[in-house]
Amino acid sequence: MSDLAYTLTLRRLVAAWSDQSRKDAANFANKHRDLLPRRITSTQLYGLVNIVRNAQRFGDIQRFIRHQREKAERAGRQDVADYWKEMEQVLNNLRNDARELQRQAGSLPPTISPKSALDTLHRQLTEEFVQHVLAHGSYWSPVPRTY
Amino acid sequence: MTQTSEGRARKIARRVALEQAIARRSDKYAYSAKDYAEKLTQTKLKNTQVRGLETLAYATDRVSAVIDWLKVRVGRDDKRNRWAQDGTGHDLLATLEGLQRDARDIAVAIRKDYSMPKEDSDLERQVHLRLIREYLKHLAAHFEYQKSEVGGE
Repeated sequence: MSDLAYTLTLRRLVAAWSDQSRKDAANFANKHRDLLPRRITSTQLYGLVNIVRNAQRFGDIQRFIRHQREKAERAGRQDVADYWKEMEQVLNNLRNDARELQRQAGSLPPTISPKSALDTLHRQLTEEFVQHVLAHGSYWSPVPRTY
Repeated sequence: MTQTSEGRARKIARRVALEQAIARRSDKYAYSAKDYAEKLTQTKLKNTQVRGLETLAYATDRVSAVIDWLKVRVGRDDKRNRWAQDGTGHDLLATLEGLQRDARDIAVAIRKDYSMPKEDSDLERQVHLRLIREYLKHLAAHFEYQKSEVGGE
């Protein structure tokens, strides 16, 4: 498959995946609605979005989430720590979806390494998911922001 | 007719049928979009903000990008004088998400008459996005017109 054909196929698959994952992301945001926007602030969520957008590898995102979790643990806020732990788990699991999309996209062009393609795709799915969580979270925020 | 040209003709017929179905729905949306436009004219929203939503719908290949954009704007509207005023943004979100039912009807009819397994799998989602674009096109046009009538911008 040529680079262009592969890119276009993958783009369509990611778009379809993103639309499907909206419900899961909304459920995730709803589940933790009581933490928003006071315990988990918009700043933290936008921080995650920024990290996800700019990360070169999925590991960078993991590091950010672990840092947030550890900070919450040190401050004795177990509910917040649990939020980040669950977020990490959910985002880790997206690797399986990335694998499946890569399979559906067909054979990789010879110029792309399978491991880096999978990592890029995983990061892309993470960006989509986190964006949905942020949107739904801010939509349902029960308390108006103070800034 | 050879097999290739038959396939091509079928593809064109499918596309024409799809465009007609979308156009028919679009005409029906004009009235309800006008109602939203009237409500939004009572808010502090400017033309660029409503146009921004329309532009996004035309630029993206995801339904979720439009929905997320609107959710964030409604959520950010702490003063409740823009997208969140009188629940208009909330209702608009429900309307846009509800267009999926129309998209499903269209996709079912197209699949029945012009089945193409490869294209069919993502058809409903793509039609949904097209319908959202149509709806927002009416909304933005009415909004701009009404805003100029009441002397805004």
